[in-house]
Amino acid sequence: MSVSGLKREQRKYIAFLLAPAILVILVFTTVPAVTTLSYAFFKWEGFQRGGFAGLANFQRLFEYPFKDQFLMALRHNVLVFIAIMILQTSFGLLIAYSLFQLKRGQRFFRTVTFLPVIFSLVVVGYMWQVMLDPYYGPINMIINDLGFESFAKPWLGSTSTALPTLVFINLWRWVGFPAIIFLAGLNAINQEYLEAARIDGATEGQIFRKIMFPLLAPSMTIITILTFIGAFEWFDLPFVLGGSNGNPAGATDTLALMFYRLSFGSVDSNANEVGVGSALGVFIFVIVGLGAAVGQHLLRKREVEQ
Amino acid sequence: MIAVLTSKLFFRAVLVINAILVLLPVFFLFNSALRETNSFASNPFALARDPHWENFQQVWSDGEFASYLKNSIIVTGGSLVVILICALGAGFILGRYNFKGNAIIFGFILTGMLIPAKLAILPLFIQLKWMNLLDSHIGLILVYASGALPAAVFIMSGFFRSLPSDLDNAARIDGASEFQLLTRVLAPLVRPGMAIVAIYSAIPIWNDFFLPLVFLQSPENKTIMQGLTVFFGQYASQWGVLFAGLTMAALPLIVLYLVLSEQFIKGLTAGAVKG
Amino acid sequence: MKIASRRFRGLVAAAVAVSAIAVPVITALPASANTELTFWSWRTEDKAFYEGQVAKFEAKNPGIKVKFTPYLNTDYNAIVSTALTAGKGPDIIQMRPYGGMANLSDAGNFLALTTKDVPALGKLQAGILAGAQGYLDKKQYGYPYAISAMGIFYNPDMLAMAGVKALPTNWDQLMNAFKKVKAAGMLPLGNAGGNGPALEQLHASVGPTFYGGTQFFNDVAAGKKTFTDKAYVASLKAVKDLVPYMPAGFEGIDYNTARGLFANEKAAFYIGGNYELGYFRSLNPSLQAGWIPPVAKVPGAKKYVSTWADGAYAINAKTANKAAALKFLNFLASKDFGQALVDEIAFIPTAPYVKITDPVVKAINSGRSSLGTPFLNVVGFRYATPTSSNILQPGFQKLITGAITPEQLAKDVQTAVASWYAPQKGKS
Repeated sequence: MSVSGLKREQRKYIAFLLAPAILVILVFTTVPAVTTLSYAFFKWEGFQRGGFAGLANFQRLFEYPFKDQFLMALRHNVLVFIAIMILQTSFGLLIAYSLFQLKRGQRFFRTVTFLPVIFSLVVVGYMWQVMLDPYYGPINMIINDLGFESFAKPWLGSTSTALPTLVFINLWRWVGFPAIIFLAGLNAINQEYLEAARIDGATEGQIFRKIMFPLLAPSMTIITILTFIGAFEWFDLPFVLGGSNGNPAGATDTLALMFYRLSFGSVDSNANEVGVGSALGVFIFVIVGLGAAVGQHLLRKREVEQ
Repeated sequence: MIAVLTSKLFFRAVLVINAILVLLPVFFLFNSALRETNSFASNPFALARDPHWENFQQVWSDGEFASYLKNSIIVTGGSLVVILICALGAGFILGRYNFKGNAIIFGFILTGMLIPAKLAILPLFIQLKWMNLLDSHIGLILVYASGALPAAVFIMSGFFRSLPSDLDNAARIDGASEFQLLTRVLAPLVRPGMAIVAIYSAIPIWNDFFLPLVFLQSPENKTIMQGLTVFFGQYASQWGVLFAGLTMAALPLIVLYLVLSEQFIKGLTAGAVKG
Repeated sequence: MKIASRRFRGLVAAAVAVSAIAVPVITALPASANTELTFWSWRTEDKAFYEGQVAKFEAKNPGIKVKFTPYLNTDYNAIVSTALTAGKGPDIIQMRPYGGMANLSDAGNFLALTTKDVPALGKLQAGILAGAQGYLDKKQYGYPYAISAMGIFYNPDMLAMAGVKALPTNWDQLMNAFKKVKAAGMLPLGNAGGNGPALEQLHASVGPTFYGGTQFFNDVAAGKKTFTDKAYVASLKAVKDLVPYMPAGFEGIDYNTARGLFANEKAAFYIGGNYELGYFRSLNPSLQAGWIPPVAKVPGAKKYVSTWADGAYAINAKTANKAAALKFLNFLASKDFGQALVDEIAFIPTAPYVKITDPVVKAINSGRSSLGTPFLNVVGFRYATPTSSNILQPGFQKLITGAITPEQLAKDVQTAVASWYAPQKGKS
């Protein structure tokens, strides 16, 4: 419906209807986002903005004491992305395929699979923290009872196991999401193709590899991009379980946690560094933006039209 | 033949194992809420033979959960109202009208999805302070709405676009204004879309603890997930009460989910699934 | 069309009017005839105590209500600083000692107190008062309410069962006591590594005898010695030497569980601050604990008890209820409150003329007054980042797992402090 064909009155209504959404987004998302990027170029005393600082904050990010924290946090985010991508996607696909093959009880299993996704990260975090308690927690008690004493580690407290444990908890909480998306993707495949292939004598394995997997490309795209964004903005779970310092000893530190620390100060002293924090924010934003854009572009090419 | 059977069995096994891995911790959560704190040291998995309902009582009164719950309802409900009103209008216009700015505005709204509230937290803090909206539910509602609107508009515009265009002409011929066209004719038809937007937006808002942590200072304004972090500090060693608190915080959504699971699934994956 | 447009405009006007009313309704606090003071703290453990004291205050001061809200220790600083910046801070604020909130006091968030407002301030020593002063301007911003002291708690029954006849006075004797307890099939030490600050406190107990107590503190503060000094490195190593006696899975055992081990009589010793006593007793009222000052490094060497003014009560500079807040602060500075502090949660109050009858607290108090030395990190090096604690807290966690050597940790501390502390600048 072309707008120019409408009367003036009607055009006013159109503006009225469009304005609230645009206004809210502008005031509470766009302006703050642009402002945050600008903060990186100023000097800061606590929450008071000082004079122009050029690229000084970016430089400081790569100096003592921020550089080591930054590199370690970045390393963690990269590792987490790789781990989550591999684990969540493969398990998600496996579960989706299993659901797809099932005739009876699909609804029950689908409901159960997706259940953890609706839990708050606070509930998930605290729940698992208690379960993984090295002394009184059920997980270690079971491991001990089964006789594997050496495996009853302090999962969340040891620098070597803390991050993998967080990835596991994240997996528990999120795997239902790719599973459901893949399931929708599988359901969207034209059944006739599958039937035709079966009649032609193809095995299920061949059907999966040659037909289903390529046709799941759009789902893969979405999942990859969302996982990438989630991994590099990872905050809630590490914050709940490790605090803003990435306990133990920074083993669970992430870029977003470091950003929070720099913006609001850490436990034993309040000194915050808004300038450096904003520089970090710019960095995170660039990574996420670039990653999403590049990913979108590369993965769209893979997608096959039905 | 055997191969087929085995593989069907295999897939069923996968799903059963998955179900166990999901449900066992959840069962542990509920079961522990009914147990006495001191009983955990000896056996963490023991069934709560005589349920200690007083754990819940303590959470409700001591843990100020009544207040937290009320605040969460206000914040989530308020956000939904703002989101639905704005998304209905914007989705309608962007979905059914061609005009020069349409694509640009649509693109502008969508890029909002790329910007997480967390990164802009400081300017938001300073901005809300300047607008005198700190420590107020209104301020929080507006920030949440702004974060949820891009996806909401995207979903609603899709629904509006899918409605047959003859409806417009028929309505106009009958003398309806644009506003009446929206409210009387089209809005009722996009109710499923509104339900999806409602669920897709409400869950992350209800579950969020970070924005309230930064924007709400007074204890009487706190929401439930934020309150849970305080609660956990106080009751960290009293597991019975702690689990009761966790259960109470999680229960509303769980119950809603079990009743409306299909809509939830559709709602929460709406942004990602095509069609 | 005209009718529809008018109706539409009417709707918009109504919506605006409704929200104009709704906004204040939703955000307004209930009106009260009383003055209401808000009081924030990081001591979730002491909630019951403070609420009891508040009730006493309210009974004597009708018309003033006080709402006490504790926060998770790890979130407290961030919560207070954002609240103060937002102009929504509480009226009475529990203040971290020394540098812990220096940048907040320097930014003018706290009311400067005089002896006219709070007479009790005049009775405190300079070293105690320093715990609540600004860093850049030495005004008094809070009333330090307690003195904390580090030491070694022990369980006499468990020691008797293990055949430990005499209480250890030096390091070798301590190690032997641990070994005996372990040989008897019991856990020697409840301390664990899951909490950085707890490890820092452990070091503050056992460390000073190795690094040389107050003399070393003065030397480092003046720039005459550095943290890479052999004696300091030895003090760091002492923490590592305690690891064999810690609980299994010590790396991940958190603060509450560790304290619980001692409180529930599963561990024979717990090394920490006097403030733990109240927590132990709240978990296990029947606990009979004893206290000895940290042992000397070799027989005959000097013993030290790290001590510091731990926390103060401050008033928000922007409070709307200054008179009421001062009344409450004076209540908190009163002898009665001080007496309650020691009687109910086993704190050592700064208020003079308080009678200490509890034998354990008495022992701690006399230990700190005869053997006291400043808690190095808290008193001297928290004024800017990275603080020595910033390095040591995660650093100790790495030290006890062997990921880092004591020498390296000492070096890291030196680098951190030298980056902002003038007398140490350029030294390594």
